[in-house]
Amino acid sequence: MTNAVAGLGLAPDAAMVTFPIEMFLPGSDIGPLDARRREIYDGLTRWRSAFDRAGDGAPPRLRVEGTSAEDALARFNHLMLINRWGDGLPLWPPTEERVNWILRGAAQSGERRLGTFPPRGGVTTVKSCAIALAMAGGRPEYLPVLVAAVEAFLDPESGSEALQAASGSAFPVVIVNGPIGPRIRLNAGFGCLGPDPQRPAGASIGRALRLLQQNLGGALPGIGTMANYGGLRYTNLVFAEDEASLPAGWPPHGSDRHGFAPGADSVSLAFANGATNIRRRGARKETPEEDALQGMHRMADFMRVPNMAGLAGYEHGTPGIIMIPGVVAQTMAGLGWTKASMREFFWEHSRIPLADLRRAGGPAWIEIDTSKVARESLALDPWPITARPENFVIVVAGGGHPTNSYWLQGYSPGVVGRPVALPVEFDRLIAEAERDLGPPAP
Amino acid sequence: MITLEFHDPSGAIEVKQPHAPRVAGLAGKRVGFVSNDQWQAYRMLPRLKALLEADFPSIEVLAVDAFPQGNGVIGSEETAALVKASGVDAVIIGNAA
Repeated sequence: MTNAVAGLGLAPDAAMVTFPIEMFLPGSDIGPLDARRREIYDGLTRWRSAFDRAGDGAPPRLRVEGTSAEDALARFNHLMLINRWGDGLPLWPPTEERVNWILRGAAQSGERRLGTFPPRGGVTTVKSCAIALAMAGGRPEYLPVLVAAVEAFLDPESGSEALQAASGSAFPVVIVNGPIGPRIRLNAGFGCLGPDPQRPAGASIGRALRLLQQNLGGALPGIGTMANYGGLRYTNLVFAEDEASLPAGWPPHGSDRHGFAPGADSVSLAFANGATNIRRRGARKETPEEDALQGMHRMADFMRVPNMAGLAGYEHGTPGIIMIPGVVAQTMAGLGWTKASMREFFWEHSRIPLADLRRAGGPAWIEIDTSKVARESLALDPWPITARPENFVIVVAGGGHPTNSYWLQGYSPGVVGRPVALPVEFDRLIAEAERDLGPPAP
Repeated sequence: MITLEFHDPSGAIEVKQPHAPRVAGLAGKRVGFVSNDQWQAYRMLPRLKALLEADFPSIEVLAVDAFPQGNGVIGSEETAALVKASGVDAVIIGNAA
């Protein structure tokens, strides 16, 4: 995990002695420690960094040559895989021409620094985002959302530094509010978690974010990230809230969680480690009230699990994101439900009896948690899965069909919001998208 | 021939400070542990303390719990200040998995 020291501004190597995972398991034979102790002593006395000078190692431009355009493209993609810069699917070459085209979507200079990507510490600029978006098949009008998402990702409140390397397979979820969602064809309806050729923005933005996580952040499976399963990491999850279907009086998520003005363009970033479809609708002759209440219980039942990774967000983050279709939101609102009352319901009905929690070894994890609030929650029986109802994220999205809702189980120390800044010529970019892609799908 | 010239997607790394200098030898030195108390550290670090003391009779090895333990605290500035104030010559950090 040499990434960890590079992210601190140290040279990207370290005096480290590694052993097979078996030695770190309960009841293991720690004899190899005796046999290899000289390596540890050498790390304290003889080791030298291979990087003998401080400075900024800006990489050179790269080039490939091919006998035809197709051959050159194939060689480019081979080079991406050889250098561990790809994701296994074909990429666009981030040529100067394509990157400059993407940068037309920048509200700021391409050289504007956004931070360093943890844990490896790659210097991250608006241009870095444009390079990744070019590789991911993106378009310039997507860049404002990607830049805002990267800003949120790099905020220490997001917890990204730890989650990038952790074994729990966390992936970022980016919820977009405001008119920019429909303007860039970001899906909020049927199939909003993708793929969708009619509304491809989420796939490109999320894939670009993933490429940044890997190429600047060093999150290579088994090397820089110990995520056992990865999961949903080709494109992460990037979607818009279906604001057109929000019932009267229901605030958009960006306003509800972050205080952005309704109608403002914003992103909200949280991490999840699971994705579950819930058959929400009743099966037979339920009244509207029964259908709503049974659906609420069914959703809460999916939440009532000992998700020890979720402790990371117990106090300030979220236990997860529940997505409900607009048609369901309208029905629920008609019965008097609000986002706030739904959160109260989930908080109350997702609590776990302490006896069940003990059976699963949960208290040991809670006792060592850094949050005092989390540790003190062990006094509560049944145990609430999060510190307060407000931590639940409810988003209206998923199309005009009432059967399902979707639960993104949280592994999220924070939920970070950022406004989306648009370039002056954004309207022109949208017009060019219509020229290139045809009119938006209904 | 078709030539494609493009940006290196791995970006730049800034090296702001060098790693700490190594000690010339461990004999007579003061060594500490910073433990996240995970992954059998409770067995492995005491074993390493015993090995160090056996291999370097004049060494002083602090107790494994001389500094705060746990993933949530070992990376903090407070812990770093405690380590510095202890006057150790070298520190062993463990365990990651």
